[in-house]
Amino acid sequence: MVENIGRGAVRSLDEIGYAAALLIESAYWVAVGHRLRQPVRAGAVIIQMMQIGVHALPIATLLSATIGIMLAIQSLYSLGLFGAESFAHIGIALSVTREFSPLIMGILIAGRSGSALSARLSTMSISQEVDALRVIGINPVRFLVAPALIGMLVMVPALTMWSNLVALGASGLYVAGALQISLAAYFDGVIEVLATDDLMHGLGKSALFAVLIALIGVVNGSLVRGGAEGVGSATTKSVVQSISAIVITDMIFAFITTR
Amino acid sequence: MSLETTPTHAAIAEMPARPLVIEVEHLDGHYGPRQILFDVSLTIVQGEIMVIMGGSGSGKSTLLRYLVGLERPSTGTIRLLGHDIGRLGGTAMLNLRRKIGVAFQGGAMFSSMTVAENIKLPLRELATLNEKTMDIMARLKLEVVNLAGFGHLMPSELSGGMLKRAAVARAIVMDPKLLFFDEPSAGLDPVVSSALDDLILRLREAMDMTIVVVTHEVESALKIADRITILDKGRILTVDTVEGVRHSPDEHIQNLLNRRSEQQEMDAAAYLRRLSGEA
Repeated sequence: MVENIGRGAVRSLDEIGYAAALLIESAYWVAVGHRLRQPVRAGAVIIQMMQIGVHALPIATLLSATIGIMLAIQSLYSLGLFGAESFAHIGIALSVTREFSPLIMGILIAGRSGSALSARLSTMSISQEVDALRVIGINPVRFLVAPALIGMLVMVPALTMWSNLVALGASGLYVAGALQISLAAYFDGVIEVLATDDLMHGLGKSALFAVLIALIGVVNGSLVRGGAEGVGSATTKSVVQSISAIVITDMIFAFITTR
Repeated sequence: MSLETTPTHAAIAEMPARPLVIEVEHLDGHYGPRQILFDVSLTIVQGEIMVIMGGSGSGKSTLLRYLVGLERPSTGTIRLLGHDIGRLGGTAMLNLRRKIGVAFQGGAMFSSMTVAENIKLPLRELATLNEKTMDIMARLKLEVVNLAGFGHLMPSELSGGMLKRAAVARAIVMDPKLLFFDEPSAGLDPVVSSALDDLILRLREAMDMTIVVVTHEVESALKIADRITILDKGRILTVDTVEGVRHSPDEHIQNLLNRRSEQQEMDAAAYLRRLSGEA
């Protein structure tokens, strides 16, 4: 048993080292690819951004609106115990921008795009497409990893920002209706409460989540073993690891920056 | 089954006068932690078709991975076109890769691109050509492999044989000096397999390529090879001409050749009788 734990720990360290190397190599290709006539193609980045961000808009909107309304219901209920419903916008605004939007969007993208990235790379590895890239002389990190990483880094914070708007809008509609106040009055309160730091806190976290989702997807996808079963296993591992990493990182981030 | 040699084998007589393009010396090869190849040494001359044969687990696919630069040798040396690939830096290796084409066993076509886009990919990434020129080159290569008019299809829409020919078109699009095939006949019926053998011979004649084919198909090997390397348990049993291999007194080699012959000449009725226990 101790041996298994030790092996698991070494393998985890190995994977973390591999992920770090991928991150550095991706940054290298973004920085010097053009000079070496091997650029990270804008077209590939746009395709990734479409898949990660634009295609996720409907589900992101639905989840964000639901979270906003749910927060409004809970805030009005809990504050109502003290007759303080009129302060509901404070908790909602801060919770949405600092916590819920980045967390929910991170989990959504981990399940939706992190798994897709892992499945794509593992299938490509098994069918020797990655080997084909290498023998052609195309660096797989430049061709496959860097566009996905950039796509994630742009779209996860963008979706988080969109989620902020939708969740605050939906919660505003609910609170305004429940308290018989105007929507404008609700948003005046929200704008008064929110500082740039609150938005940056959420966006910073979402950028961190983006890197984690991309790297975990790539590491699991490229270290795949076996056939179709291996692809399934890599995809599942990728989703579980990404969501765990997001939640743990969220807690550490909050601990460091919020106390 | 015919084991007659083709006229192309006569070319072997001229081979020693030609320059060496692949030199493998004392290579030990690994797949993960396991050692697969033991002290492999091999030379291939320009314009030669070398077939690497062996049973399952003999190390032929691992040897191919080393030859195409997918694995770097830690023990021994591999020189391709005069370059020691164990010592080449990134840019030099990239330049060398432009002179190498590889047709993988399953085709390894990129499933998200059309056949034509697959063929144009090396040109797009490694050369500075305009779109029209790339289109023309892709069309020409598709014609070479008898796939003219199929460029707009996705790889999933092609049959096994077409997929392998499409992979050949992509492998030759940069006009490589060295062309490697991994199990070109695997999974193909004899007619399609024979057509692919003919294509390999035509490519050598038309483009003066040096071709290395890894296969376990005896008939195919005897048809296309100038010389045959036989691997067994990671060691080279022999490197010889087709005639030399056919008449080798080595029992392992004869087993490898005859096992295949017996399979092909087996009478279907006798096989069924044996299965049902009647014979």
